[in-house]
Amino acid sequence: MYQYDLIDKEFLADRSAEFRGQVARRLSGELTEDQFKPLRLMNGLYLQLHAYMLRVAIPYGSLNPTQARRLAQIARDYDKGYGHFTTRQNIQFNWIKLKDAPEILDKLAEVDLHAIQTSGNCIRNTTSDPYAGATAEEVDDPRVWCEVIRQWSTLHPEFSFLPRKFKIAITASAKDRTAAKVHDIGLLLRQGRDGQLGFEVIVGGGQGRTPYVGPTIKQFLPTDRLLSYLEAILRVYNRHGRRDNIYKARIKILVAALGAEEFARQVEEEWSKIDAARADLPAPELARIRAAFATTPFKTLPARSETFEAAKASDAAFARFVRNNVRPHKLPGYAIVEISLKAQEQTPGDASADQLDVVADLAERYGFNDLRVTHAQNLVLPHIKLDDLPTVFAALQTANLATPNIDLVSDIIACPGLDYCALANARAIPIAQDIARQFADLDRAEQVGELKIKISGCINACGHHHVAHIGILGVDKKGEEFYQLSLGGSGAEDASIGKILGPALPADKVATAVDQLVGAYLAVRTDGERFLDTYRRVGLEPFKEAVYAQAD
Amino acid sequence: MKAITANRLIDGEVVFWKSGQWVDRFGDAQLFDDHHAADVEAAVATGKSQPTVVVDVYPIDLVQSGGRWAPLSYRERIRALGPTNEPTHGKQVEGGDVVEALRHASGAARSTGRVDLIRRK
Repeated sequence: MYQYDLIDKEFLADRSAEFRGQVARRLSGELTEDQFKPLRLMNGLYLQLHAYMLRVAIPYGSLNPTQARRLAQIARDYDKGYGHFTTRQNIQFNWIKLKDAPEILDKLAEVDLHAIQTSGNCIRNTTSDPYAGATAEEVDDPRVWCEVIRQWSTLHPEFSFLPRKFKIAITASAKDRTAAKVHDIGLLLRQGRDGQLGFEVIVGGGQGRTPYVGPTIKQFLPTDRLLSYLEAILRVYNRHGRRDNIYKARIKILVAALGAEEFARQVEEEWSKIDAARADLPAPELARIRAAFATTPFKTLPARSETFEAAKASDAAFARFVRNNVRPHKLPGYAIVEISLKAQEQTPGDASADQLDVVADLAERYGFNDLRVTHAQNLVLPHIKLDDLPTVFAALQTANLATPNIDLVSDIIACPGLDYCALANARAIPIAQDIARQFADLDRAEQVGELKIKISGCINACGHHHVAHIGILGVDKKGEEFYQLSLGGSGAEDASIGKILGPALPADKVATAVDQLVGAYLAVRTDGERFLDTYRRVGLEPFKEAVYAQAD
Repeated sequence: MKAITANRLIDGEVVFWKSGQWVDRFGDAQLFDDHHAADVEAAVATGKSQPTVVVDVYPIDLVQSGGRWAPLSYRERIRALGPTNEPTHGKQVEGGDVVEALRHASGAARSTGRVDLIRRK
């Protein structure tokens, strides 16, 4: 894991002290709310329905046990004992007091954490593959490039006041676990024919009220030219992005208006003017950053673990957990373990302080001090020995963290919705809980197979409903909570935007409708077809009929 | 009937206007008859002149529920109660008749005061 150096540490301490002064000036009346709001947002502090909300950055979703324990402590001391992991691999605290915020930032800074780039019209925290450094699928470790971007983009003077927020995701695996194609920039690391590494650059994807799967504007960008090329993209956006209309200010609108080809041409033109020696990262600095991620002291292990095999044969619950939550590691004798934050009756993505402590202990004792957050609001222990898996599973079970439902119907993404969020039109959490209850039978959930349900409480789409196999959008229909269903979206490598199924449904009809959709799928699916595959083969009609036929 | 709400600056807590003070409980809020629109306006104006005490001051519409008054919009009921997914968090913890009345209130509608606030921004 990358270690902050003295410059990073001093910077965070200064930043925290600066915010302390700004809060004091706000409380004394020296700053008005209009003056203060952008300053607090630059430190991830929002005012929500019940209190302030602090969004803490987890750069590329990577945490060490000390940091996880500090988040637990903050949850206990300043919140109500829990935090909420977001679809951008960050964590939010829902019950923060303005007067405590400077102290919290101090405590975060002590363990190299902060809330910078979690809000505002800047380059936000770069997200990445939670399996980075652990999966055999990747051609390089994407965290290296995320860290390069972090150092380049933090308080970048030219790009701190963009037309709108700007989100980058990086994956180095063919299987995309980052939703890269619906980001402002998606960077897909590829190996060229000559073995050289390069990025496929996707620009102008996004969700919100105008969802787009981003077009590729460059097939192969040599990795050593990354920063100058990003600079060129951002410069074109900064110059031509629409500042007159907040709803049209994201880069996706500019790319769609110009066309991908013309946008790419303008980027190339801008790129040709940039002095590469100034803008691109020097090789020694890249080597320094790379070295920080190459130090996991793995052991050479046999591929087969008798302990693991025996536990799997004797304990059906463990076997089920392995089937659904454990993924192959690049090295023999190790596994990637997903920890679901979607237990029955749990709020999707919430973890209690005690749970964070348990996971921190497991990462420390069994997992090379490495812990990840996924964009699907779950956690990952990326390097667990097969020999240790039964012990880790038992510890997770005790903490209600062993729900074996990764990528199944009850592994639902949900934004905080109207229970917390000042922007929401409708609640998302109770809908997720209703659906999870409907599919509480794990045998049935496994029989249904991969099914990604994602719920947003408003059109801003923090809950990624556009790219869900079954997407659910909360709307305010004459003052009542209604839910619009859409089918066939995907945020993965086969990205697509879902299509609206039909008229919005009242809250108490949503879980039943999902059940009807699943029934329609099971009736026509062929061997090995996921819900998404069946939908793509048969189209919207059979599903529409299943949900609306009786109502007509 | 109307009440006036805001968030307290120092901690973000939802508060309600009561005769020149800001109180935490909706049950303690001052209620304004609809024909006293000028009083509402005056109270909102006073609230807005206290920028070091509260932010986002606006009036909310109320509706009858079980013989008591409750905010008409579910958004405002959630603000007055706390999140529905965590019944032990927020103001609802205290329980009592007013909390019950809020929980069972219907007649959902947009929070008119809030909509005005968003428009102004």
